[in-house]
Amino acid sequence: MNLGRLLNTSAMRIALRYAAIYAILMILGLSTLYWASSQYIDEQITTGLKQKMLDLIHIDQAQGRKSLIQTLNAQSAINKQSRSIFLLLNSSHKKIAGDLEAWPSKLDVTNRVVNVWIDSQLISNSKMDQDAYWPMIAETLADGSQLLLAQSLKQAEELQEQILYSIISIFLLSVGLALTMGWIIGRTLLARIDNINSTAKAITSGNLSHRIPITEKNDEFDELAKYLNTMLNRIEQLLTGMRQVTDNIAHDLRKPLSRLRNRLEITLLEERESQEYQQILTETINDADELIITFNTLLEIAQTEAESFRGEWESVDLSKLLQQLGELYQELANSKKQTLKLTVQNGLKVTGNRHLLAQAVSNLLDNAIKYTPANGQIILAAKQQQKNITLKVSDNGVGIPTDKYKLVLERFFRLDSARSMPGNGLGLSLVKAVADLHRAKLSFEDNQPGLTVVIIFTKLNN
Amino acid sequence: MRILLIEDDQQAATYIVKGLTESGHNVDHAADGQLGLDLALAENYDVLVIDRMLPKRDGLSLIRMLRADGDKTPILVLSALAEVDDRIEGLRSGGDDYLVKPYAFSELLARVDALTRRYTETVSLTALKVADLELNLLTHKVTRAGCLIRLQPMELRLLEFLLRHVGQVVTRTMLLEQVWDLHFDPQTNVIDTQISRLRSKIDRDFDRPLLHTLRGVGYKLDEFR
Repeated sequence: MNLGRLLNTSAMRIALRYAAIYAILMILGLSTLYWASSQYIDEQITTGLKQKMLDLIHIDQAQGRKSLIQTLNAQSAINKQSRSIFLLLNSSHKKIAGDLEAWPSKLDVTNRVVNVWIDSQLISNSKMDQDAYWPMIAETLADGSQLLLAQSLKQAEELQEQILYSIISIFLLSVGLALTMGWIIGRTLLARIDNINSTAKAITSGNLSHRIPITEKNDEFDELAKYLNTMLNRIEQLLTGMRQVTDNIAHDLRKPLSRLRNRLEITLLEERESQEYQQILTETINDADELIITFNTLLEIAQTEAESFRGEWESVDLSKLLQQLGELYQELANSKKQTLKLTVQNGLKVTGNRHLLAQAVSNLLDNAIKYTPANGQIILAAKQQQKNITLKVSDNGVGIPTDKYKLVLERFFRLDSARSMPGNGLGLSLVKAVADLHRAKLSFEDNQPGLTVVIIFTKLNN
Repeated sequence: MRILLIEDDQQAATYIVKGLTESGHNVDHAADGQLGLDLALAENYDVLVIDRMLPKRDGLSLIRMLRADGDKTPILVLSALAEVDDRIEGLRSGGDDYLVKPYAFSELLARVDALTRRYTETVSLTALKVADLELNLLTHKVTRAGCLIRLQPMELRLLEFLLRHVGQVVTRTMLLEQVWDLHFDPQTNVIDTQISRLRSKIDRDFDRPLLHTLRGVGYKLDEFR
């Protein structure tokens, strides 16, 4: 999986886009915080210094100079860590007490807090090892002596530094997180897509049985894969049906065609009576008709099997249809001295195509009549059983060996015992296809002797 | 009978024209839908035989145009599309009968003949007759030479259909479609046995047979063979 492809994934793009938006918002927010906090710290220092100055002036006035100096020294000692310094000069500008060696040149006595640059050397007992700006305030006391108070910025700067570091690390973290998420999601998506792609490739190269693996995640990709697989199943089914038809045409229709051709050729070998010609031509027409029927049946089976049948789909009165077919076949059975008995319950309804159902049942009746000897009995029965409708065609003819039940459904398959009879070996294939199209179950039972064909229309059908 | 055949398949058209002409019809042929429409509108035909798939104008739209124009000439639609829906669509758009390719020529001929009969016979009849065989449409009584013949409902329908097409060839498929309303090929000749049963009732006890079998084609109910 190359990086370019990964960066091109929609997941990566979305992740990066959101990372950028969040980073900008975060920078704005944190900068505001940074600015507000420095304002606040400045404010704190300024008011702190002013208040302290007022307190000290008060001490000086109320308790005297000695007390002031004591307080100053005490505070300075306590504040060794908090880094505040002071300087007290008498009226003739001599140092009385304090941490500073000299009065900073740039400081005016204004009762305002100002930032003044102070050399660290100026500070005694080294409360500060670096030169820096110190916010400070100076006031002239009642006797003309001057008091200076200063507060180190170090602590405030440390705090601001902390905030700045937080800003940077949060920014880096969020961008990093977004990239990682994008990477992980992108990789997962690409892996899933690659599954689909490789299946598509395999199918393109001719292996139609390939399917997209479905994970247990049951997510949108699995949904897509399921639909694609269903589509592929369908296509394969259609192609297989198509291929079978072409195979059938190639293998099984060649024989009757060449037989037909040879008969015509042999007819031409010598002069014949015109009556004989007529006879042969009539036979040839019959053969051609049979071929056409075979072709049509093959096509019908293929269409039915592929479920591409687009004919009318309606509620069929099965009882009425069976009565009709029974009536139609009664005479045929009678002519073979067989009895055709109908035990059909009234009012049976099936959703489906009337013509196909008629074709299927008539194929079964055809077979039954064809393979049952004289004086045999054929029963066409249908009844409701719970939610299913069971249709049975039974005869007491030659039957089908149980191990051939599957084979007889194949196109053009004929039992050895049936080869002498007319027929094309497609009848049961069509019945099977029609049953499948109607979601009905087709099975065979041994009627001892004879065969019972059972078609069960499940409630799914209705 | 004047027949217009609109069919673009030259080979098929040639043998249909030949066959229809030899059967005593006067046939014009149009190779595309537009020419067919022009001819059908300009001339007076008894039957139109129209292929569904045509160049320039397809068969169904041609039929709709004709019907919209008030033309009531009976139409037989030919089609290579074999599914039932197509049949229904063909009939809905104004066709009178529908024949799926590949078909036997005898089938086409029989249907063309049937169409002309259907067209000319618009008056409501109370009885159908051939020779001394009569079916009373009101009482459903069948008599031959004055003798009452008992028929079952299905036999009655079969006889009625044959009587309505007296003198014409009807094919097995036509009977299955029209009498039983079934569209499929029965593998064994169930129709034959039905016919022979009807024949046993209307012909057996009489000198002159009326119901004839034409080998490889179908049946004909007629006074003469």
